[in-house]
Amino acid sequence: MHKQHLPIQQLAAIAAVVASLIPQPGQADPGYSFGDGAQKNRSCLSCHKDKELVGAANQISPKAFQHTTHAQLGCKTCHNTVSDKHPSDGKIARTTTCSDCHTDIASQYSISKHSLSVPDCSACHNPHSVHKPGEVYALDLNKTCTTCHTQDKIAASHAQWLPQSNLHLGSINCITCHTKSDAFVLSVYVSRRDQKTTGSATTVADYAYLKSKANSDNIAKLVDRNQDSYISIEELRNFNTNPLNKDLYLKAILTPAATSHAFQISDKSWNCTSCHAAGPDAAQVSRLVLPKQDGTFQHMDIEKGASIAALNVIPDFYMMGSSRNTILNMLGIGILAGGMVMPVGHGFFRFLTRKNRRKE
Amino acid sequence: MHAKLIYLQPTPVRIWHWLNALGIVTLIISGIQIRFPDYVSICGSYRDAILLHNTAGIVVALSFSFWFFYYKWVSGALTNIYVPKMDELSNGLIKQMFFYFYGYFKGAAAPFHATPDSKFNPMQKSAYLAIMFVIVPFVSLTGIALLNIGPLRQILLMLGGLQILVTLHFILACILGAFLMTHVYLATLGSTPLAYFKPMWTGWEKVEHHHEGDELHSTVD
Repeated sequence: MHKQHLPIQQLAAIAAVVASLIPQPGQADPGYSFGDGAQKNRSCLSCHKDKELVGAANQISPKAFQHTTHAQLGCKTCHNTVSDKHPSDGKIARTTTCSDCHTDIASQYSISKHSLSVPDCSACHNPHSVHKPGEVYALDLNKTCTTCHTQDKIAASHAQWLPQSNLHLGSINCITCHTKSDAFVLSVYVSRRDQKTTGSATTVADYAYLKSKANSDNIAKLVDRNQDSYISIEELRNFNTNPLNKDLYLKAILTPAATSHAFQISDKSWNCTSCHAAGPDAAQVSRLVLPKQDGTFQHMDIEKGASIAALNVIPDFYMMGSSRNTILNMLGIGILAGGMVMPVGHGFFRFLTRKNRRKE
Repeated sequence: MHAKLIYLQPTPVRIWHWLNALGIVTLIISGIQIRFPDYVSICGSYRDAILLHNTAGIVVALSFSFWFFYYKWVSGALTNIYVPKMDELSNGLIKQMFFYFYGYFKGAAAPFHATPDSKFNPMQKSAYLAIMFVIVPFVSLTGIALLNIGPLRQILLMLGGLQILVTLHFILACILGAFLMTHVYLATLGSTPLAYFKPMWTGWEKVEHHHEGDELHSTVD
């Protein structure tokens, strides 16, 4: 805390604040503006980016902070008690509570069991680096859960009732089932097939890698060949079959269409057929998710209402029951019908000629 | 009528056959529910169907291994019983087909009579060769791969992905299902509809006396 700083640190902090107020070319960390056009966060971050100066608990990464909506609001919107004499006044820059703005979420969270044991939002969400769900790699969202619920315990508890539990946990967000979302979105990521570490977990390709593959900042053109910002099933199929993409593959994650901080499990989540027999109706929306230069992700719609068709061209994802292919079904029925030729055809003539086999 | 009983199906073979039959029928029924859960729920919940299918699949895969081990290394008759000889392919196959599709209807005698050392006619040999050496091993292997997607993920992706694996498993299973229907039907073509079923249950087959030199284990009048 600031109260514990040695005098020399306080002097250094004041000096840094003063220095930050003097415009100096090249000092403003080109590439980001600390999140606000007016640069009103600059004076705060000039100290709070420095762990040595403010301590780890008060350190804020300008790079992470600049992407947040909170940065756009400015530090003083939440830290409304901070005085002009901070930190020399020795007072803590108290903050408003999250629920002052996020009333709906606070209301949902209040009925969750989590609210009893973890009442503080910042235990899961660092307000200085929080992202919208869509800006984060879907499975990274699970890291918030695994901070408390260890992966071993999650794996063990799901394995007690869920067949192929590891496959489910590797392809579905925790919140896909642990919220009452009625619909799902299939999020498709371009992933690297690391040939050198066969058998290990594969990773979503980052911006730099895809940029080198595309030879351009426009990495979307790796999939969106006609560059209409809309992904057709044909474009997904072409991506899979393009020999230049041998080191890449499409990885699909089932994400919820809507989330709730009530974290209640819908009754239908216990019923396998709510996904496996739902057919195309439950998953009408799918999207290609591509990394951005700043480490977040952008979305591009995949052909509407074609999630199941999209699944059929994603080699790493198969949803039993729902993913069944109609043409393949017809082929299967044809094969089985072939098996009936002998019983029916031969049996017919056998019946007609039964007198020939009667024994005297 | 004077008839002889020959001990055609030893106990291990019968155990294997009926275990296999139970397993494959279970696999077919649970497999249909797994693929068409919106229409079929005969095995209970989807989870039950999956667990039943996985269990039956492992039983059939072990049963197949038992069959192979028994015939290859215990009885040593694997090649003799299951692999058709050149003469059987060039001559016996046509003769057998001619019987099934013409002679049988005319009331002619079957050209082939099973013995413990030569159980299958050339048509059966050819069919079983394909079923037991190609279809069953591959449907088992693709099923085992589907049970182990995590560890095999990279290999499966290199081979075309899960979609290809499921397609192969499904097509092979359909071929096995088609064979099963023909298999059961052909088993009714004995002197009576159940004549070929009995030896697979009791081990003993009642045959009419054709040659004095036949190896007899028991006779009945």
